[in-house]
Amino acid sequence: MAAEQPQTAANAVRDTVKKDEDKEEEELSPFYGIEKGAVLQESRVFNDPQIDVRRCQQIITKLLYLLNQGDAFTKVEATEVFFSGTKLFQSKDINLRRMVYLMIKEICPSSDEVIIVTSSLMKDMNSKTDLYRSNAIRVLCNISRNDTALLSQVERYLKQAVVDKNSVVASAALVSGMHLLQGSPEIVKRWSNEVQEAVQSKNPLVQAHALALLHQIRQNDRLAVSKLVTSLTRSSVRSPLAQCLLIRYVSQVIAESSAATNGERPFYDFLEGCLRHKAEMVIFEAARAIANMNDVTTRELTPAITVLQLFLSSSKPVLRFAAVRTLNKVAMTHPLAVTNCNIDMESLISDQNRSIATLAITTLLKTGNESSVERLLKQITSFMSDIADEFKIVVVEAIKSLCLKFPQKYPVLMNFLSNILREEGGFDYKKAIVESILNLIRDIPDAKESGLSHLCEFIEDCEFTYLSTQILHLLGKEGPNTQDPAKYIRYIYNRVILENATVRASAVSALARFGAVVEYLQPRIIILLKRCLHDNDDEVRDRATFYLAALGAGETSAETSRPMLLSSLNKPLADLEANLRDYMMGGCDKTFDISCVSSTKPNLGPAPKAAGGAAAASKPGQNSAPEVPQADAYAEVLNEIPELADLGRLFKSSAPVELTEAETEYMVKCVKHVFPEHVVFQFSCSNTIEEQVLEDVSVVMEPTEGEELQEEFTLPLVSMPLNECGETYVCMKRAEGSFAVGKYACTLKFTVKEVDPSTGEAEEDGYEDEYQLEDIEVSVLDYLQKTAVSNFRKSWEDIDEEMEQTSVYGLGARESLQEAVEAVMEILGMQPCEGTEVVPPNARSHTSLLSGNFVGNCQVLVRLYFGVDQSNAVAVKVAVRCEDAAVSELVHQIISEA
Amino acid sequence: MGLWESFMEWIRSLFFKQEMEISLIGLQNAGKSSFVNVLTTGQHAEEMIPTVGFNMRKVSKGSVNIKMWDLGGQPRFRSMWERYCRGVNAIVYIVDASDHDKIDVAKTELHDLLAKPTLNGIPVLVLGNKNDVPNSLDVEAIIHRMELKAIEGREVCCYNVSCKNQTNIDITVEWLTKHAKK
Repeated sequence: MAAEQPQTAANAVRDTVKKDEDKEEEELSPFYGIEKGAVLQESRVFNDPQIDVRRCQQIITKLLYLLNQGDAFTKVEATEVFFSGTKLFQSKDINLRRMVYLMIKEICPSSDEVIIVTSSLMKDMNSKTDLYRSNAIRVLCNISRNDTALLSQVERYLKQAVVDKNSVVASAALVSGMHLLQGSPEIVKRWSNEVQEAVQSKNPLVQAHALALLHQIRQNDRLAVSKLVTSLTRSSVRSPLAQCLLIRYVSQVIAESSAATNGERPFYDFLEGCLRHKAEMVIFEAARAIANMNDVTTRELTPAITVLQLFLSSSKPVLRFAAVRTLNKVAMTHPLAVTNCNIDMESLISDQNRSIATLAITTLLKTGNESSVERLLKQITSFMSDIADEFKIVVVEAIKSLCLKFPQKYPVLMNFLSNILREEGGFDYKKAIVESILNLIRDIPDAKESGLSHLCEFIEDCEFTYLSTQILHLLGKEGPNTQDPAKYIRYIYNRVILENATVRASAVSALARFGAVVEYLQPRIIILLKRCLHDNDDEVRDRATFYLAALGAGETSAETSRPMLLSSLNKPLADLEANLRDYMMGGCDKTFDISCVSSTKPNLGPAPKAAGGAAAASKPGQNSAPEVPQADAYAEVLNEIPELADLGRLFKSSAPVELTEAETEYMVKCVKHVFPEHVVFQFSCSNTIEEQVLEDVSVVMEPTEGEELQEEFTLPLVSMPLNECGETYVCMKRAEGSFAVGKYACTLKFTVKEVDPSTGEAEEDGYEDEYQLEDIEVSVLDYLQKTAVSNFRKSWEDIDEEMEQTSVYGLGARESLQEAVEAVMEILGMQPCEGTEVVPPNARSHTSLLSGNFVGNCQVLVRLYFGVDQSNAVAVKVAVRCEDAAVSELVHQIISEA
Repeated sequence: MGLWESFMEWIRSLFFKQEMEISLIGLQNAGKSSFVNVLTTGQHAEEMIPTVGFNMRKVSKGSVNIKMWDLGGQPRFRSMWERYCRGVNAIVYIVDASDHDKIDVAKTELHDLLAKPTLNGIPVLVLGNKNDVPNSLDVEAIIHRMELKAIEGREVCCYNVSCKNQTNIDITVEWLTKHAKK
């Protein structure tokens, strides 16, 4: 904001310095090397009976310079300078007075001293000189901010000043109002009428300041803000600065209202109109506002992108930077909309300004196609060392999403990442790189081996403990399952020799996992672990001892303890600690029984939410990523339940479905878990009525249509907790190879016990009751999982051509090809490959590649050929390849039914 | 001083004005700002607002330009008086002669101030203002109650004035102009 502009100390210093600088342009600043002590000594001339105006101005400039350089004055020094400075009020020189104002504001002595200038300032505030008035207002507000008595004395003058004819005075009063609003809002709120009048001012700066203040006054009243914005968008706001502010307020209103109303977005026309404004800053502000709107559509974006594209070829670097930065953001969510600007951005790669070049390249990486990746990477490498860490992180993020989009390109990209990993860089930068590599290892199976070896090399010379431990953990988890696990041992054991205790401890854990999983390495691992027994750190020795015992080097048998090594404990640590403490107190005569520790609560509340958030944050190209941790979380919880533990590996968990209306007495959500031969329905129930206790809760499922699953057992919930989730399960058997689909009517059954409001205890007798829930549908999609393939063509050709099943479907008239593609992918719920989910602009036909996995590990690959005719009707030819013909048929069935 | 020199002095005073700087202090409501007004404009206003901080006024009397620091008399400003008294040609201490109760506080403040080494040797003029009010203290009483005789090492003078009736303002000005140069 330009609020403080007319009177910041820096400005004044610049003014005075300017003349001297013009004379001796390249020479050192006249202030170079001045010393505080000397300047303070000099400032004694303020006390002279005859004031040398020019000299005093110079000394104040020096003082301000020192303060701005961060030279702090002690309290005694500040007081001394302040009081001698007040003597300068005797001079009538306008420029000197201005410097005195600045000095008072910057030195800012304690409040009991600064009041000495009050009378002088009040006199100046009512003087005939406008410059006195405006500056006195600013200083007076600054010093009386916390002095309500004083403030009420000057309030009358301030209120008048808001509507003063002189713009400098009015701005000063308005800006002071913004500062006062923090401490004494009730005073400023009384100025509303005057401020409103100032909004109509012809002076651009006054209008902007008045609008800003008016908005701040009404900030907490959403309705008032909305009214203000509505009235102002209709009348014409002349000042570009005020217009920019208005655009910001409008976008706030849009953001708050869009949640409530669907359909036409309010104020969009206003924003679009601003794109044709004369002032560049207004155009940019409007374009940015449009780009930042929630769920902005491509149609809404287009005009904004067009003006930004013009900015890209502007001669002003600041416009180029602003435009490319905004486009960079847009490219994350709407890569397609930005592709039109690709040519302009190509030319920015060689821009003199590194920041512009970096943003241009990363934007291109997001929007570009597979063929340009290598060329762009080469260009980035050439200046990677010249840019700041913060931009390097932008590059890394771009590379990561690119890699997920074009998995085939992983060798080049992985190579690039490992190269930059070796260069100098701060923690955040390194962390971003390592996390990107971890992501790639997780999502692209082919990249695992090379990624791991890059990481191994990195930890050989890594100064960040956090990253080392993270990588060692990953090595322990993934390393043993690679082709040649032995090669990682050296890297890990080097850590034990060379690193600090924390890293050593995690290295020991990683080693142990190798020993547990890889049979033939076990003797060697045991030797290494034995060496760790002599470590000088407790934790490292403890871990080594524990793992040696677990691996069977000691007396304990390996068979019983090995699972302990590989699976997590699944007990809340706090409970475990409490139980162990009790055990110690009890004298330790029996063996500690771990099963008496309560197991992890099956609390899945936060897990899906977190996954959802991640999905929203990282949209295109990595849809598969966030699902993994969620499924893991479910699998862990289900494993804890003895009846469900031996159903096999969890294949897929659906997203939670609400079975009750919002804000009813009971809240029930259902998650469908698909196992190799079973389907488990998990009902998360919570009670919202305080006067009732619900016990013995279960859900009865009655098939209403479709194929039936065989109900095996139900796990009731002992008591439905108040405002928390309790779980009940229904397990159904599914014949192998069948994909039973159907609908089930669900009823919640329970025993109600009234709670006596006086005692808060439940009555003993209850009665049985039911509650009707919404139907649950089991569809083919529940058996289908998204899985990425790194090389679609190869996988496609691996499956016999004979197995291909093709048919053509008409999709009717669609708004665009992109929309049709999105609709079909939504129906199929499969993983788009090689970035084919995005249709190039103006294309009349498009091919999308999808891959997925049916339960029973049956890979399905789909090729979609889209075509549009004159009337915008879209037709799609669907080719499905799968080892199992029945499965291919199912895919067609999904589409034809939808 | 020879005759010639005193003649030159007179000539000089015609062309070159003398400068002097004084500080006006005293408890609140003693009449400091009124005194300044009387000196500068010759007017007396009944309604005055308390001085928050200080006022700087300049006035020309005969061949002397007087620069006056009129300081606020409220307790929170008293600690700052000393800063504006340093290096002045004279300190004018105004006392409300009609307020018998405050005279002791006025005495303590004056003596505390004059004890500051930075103010050594600066002449002090004590003015008992508001002598138009019946029962106000006369000069002797003020000298006694203010213990002015106890002040050493500087010139001390005491007048009885009334800003309202403008009595004795002329002799005060005369005293001040005499002290223009030490």
